[in-house]
Amino acid sequence: MVIDDLLQRRLVVLSGKGGVGKSLVGTALARVARDRGKRVLLIEVDTPRDSEAARYLGAPPVGPEVTEVESGLWAVNLDPRGVMDEYVRETVKVDFLARKILENPVYHRFFAAAPGLPELMVMGKVMMLEQEKEGWGRRPRFDLVILDAPATGHGLAFLKVPLAASQAVPVGPVGANARRILHLLRDAHRTALVLVAIPEEMAVVEAAEFERLAREEIGVEARALVLNACHERRFAPAEEAQVLRLIADDADGRLPGGVPLRGALQAARRQLRRAKLTRYYQNWLRKRLPLPSISLPYVFDEDIGPAAVDALAARLAAA
Amino acid sequence: MSGRARPDARRDLSRALADKRILVVGGAGGVGKTTTAAALGLQAALTGRRVLVCTIDPARRLATSLGLEQLTGKPRRLDLHRLAPDAAGEMWAMMLDTQRTFDALVERYTADEAARDRILGNRFYRHVSTALAGSHEYMAMEKLLDLHGDPRFDLVILDTPPTRHALDFLEAPDRLMGFLDTSVLRWVLKPYFVAGRLTLKVATRTGALALGLADRFLGLQFLQDLSEFFLAFEGMYDGFKERAARVHALLRSEACGFVVVASPSRLALEQAVYFHRRLEESGLPFVGFVANRVHPEPEAGGERRAARIDEELAEALGGVYRDQQRLARHDQRALARLQADTGEPVLGVPEMEADVHDLRGLLEVAEAMLGQAPVPARRRRRTAGAARSR
Repeated sequence: MVIDDLLQRRLVVLSGKGGVGKSLVGTALARVARDRGKRVLLIEVDTPRDSEAARYLGAPPVGPEVTEVESGLWAVNLDPRGVMDEYVRETVKVDFLARKILENPVYHRFFAAAPGLPELMVMGKVMMLEQEKEGWGRRPRFDLVILDAPATGHGLAFLKVPLAASQAVPVGPVGANARRILHLLRDAHRTALVLVAIPEEMAVVEAAEFERLAREEIGVEARALVLNACHERRFAPAEEAQVLRLIADDADGRLPGGVPLRGALQAARRQLRRAKLTRYYQNWLRKRLPLPSISLPYVFDEDIGPAAVDALAARLAAA
Repeated sequence: MSGRARPDARRDLSRALADKRILVVGGAGGVGKTTTAAALGLQAALTGRRVLVCTIDPARRLATSLGLEQLTGKPRRLDLHRLAPDAAGEMWAMMLDTQRTFDALVERYTADEAARDRILGNRFYRHVSTALAGSHEYMAMEKLLDLHGDPRFDLVILDTPPTRHALDFLEAPDRLMGFLDTSVLRWVLKPYFVAGRLTLKVATRTGALALGLADRFLGLQFLQDLSEFFLAFEGMYDGFKERAARVHALLRSEACGFVVVASPSRLALEQAVYFHRRLEESGLPFVGFVANRVHPEPEAGGERRAARIDEELAEALGGVYRDQQRLARHDQRALARLQADTGEPVLGVPEMEADVHDLRGLLEVAEAMLGQAPVPARRRRRTAGAARSR
């Protein structure tokens, strides 16, 4: 099963176009892993506010500190700048010297625009968290780390940075670190790249493009695809024909229970079209991006919260 | 703007399309920025303007929504003939080539060929000029200045790259300038270049420490590439700065306007509010919000009892009705909140029933946004079948 295969990894990297619901999918995936007894860490990067996952789970806000939001489920929202500062502090060790550097304008300007530095720092931190050990047995602190990577355009840059850095900085600890990150990303035994899309043209096209670029340019093979927000069949074929006939007849009035028929038919027509589009893109993906895939239903809740996470987790668990 | 009695987003947008010379379209990822930019461009072209829609998104989205196989770094004119045989204006589209724009900028501001080759051939430049944080945005601004002066176009619509933080786009040019400001970095890096070997004779102890660290972690070769790069850029900085100042002024002029695209989702709305605030703080002229993917409220219809319908079907119909109603009400509330929070007009655009991937689809979006375009209306059926035929 797709889900079992994914949960056997140590690092799952979720990538997809903006707006496809990566954070929600990541949260549901973390929930499934946790429910199977794993200690899970969900990493978000530089989300505009606090951790999305914590919000979806109805937990108090989570910032740049690794926080247990539910038993066995940790979340963190990494801020690249904070990660870099931490790195400087750990490297320099002497407090007042570290402070001097952190206050230096050159450091500020350099970090603000240095190519790939924030990404490299964050990937380094992700690797560190993945390898963190605890207790006497030195067992890994987390059984599974889920990285909710930035949206595709940015996301590829994100994954590319370790490779670029290992080429641009051939010697020294930074280069060595970059090579270790790259090694982790390419290690199919430990890491799975999972693409997230929704059944819309741009999202699936970007997913396919991302899969190709990750493979050709970084040497990372995508392992699975999650198609989120699918509109599923809600009318049997005979019912569909009946709905279309009623629309053609411009049927009106109230259904038992007071539901206005005309409005219901409009909603049904939209639903039929969206469901058809969903099936079309599911087929498209089967042909163009033949990866093990999981379809998740569109969530109709007004405010997406714990109930939606539960529903999606149940679907993932069965995938 | 917020002092106006009745905000009317449609009127403001139509006016902007008629009067402005530059429209910048911004917003969170996944809200349909590119489609909105293209639809606005099409509308303006149909009403007689010569429009260029420029996208900088590395994923070729505008290309998809225009049905173009590929967009090159050069403006390409679209054929509006089939859509509107007597369209008064023109529509052009292009995708920004960051590397080429950067190279052109270097060529413009280097004193001689040797200096130019020194930069273009620098390892650091080749590896990372387009990867520098903000270089996409900076080059978009640079290109904007070029396009603004291009006599072929009287309206340039700039589609911005998706940013996690809306302000990235606004601040990126400054950030890149800060990076290229050699007066600061040279202070740290010059000793490397001059001595060609490890030397820590720098002005301050902190500088020496930073340098020592940099060497330990990055290696001498990298630092040499880097310092060569900065030394080569030295003479160009003033030219860059002067262009940046012109862009700065242009963006704040009456000729320019910002359209912020959102959707009714919480995240997109939060970003829209934030973006709006940043625009106000920066003195950039705001035109209006466009909220895409708004679920329409299903019609109420007549009161009498409907003809008998199979119980199971009636139940399924009731289900989709309630789902749609819930989404519609959520969306209405979300849009009202955006308007209340910002005091600015919000134009809601109903969710399209099918994907938009050609000019006809864009025309439908334009009509949904701004009302009937001046094109003979033909009956258009856009269903999933249209997608299948591709």
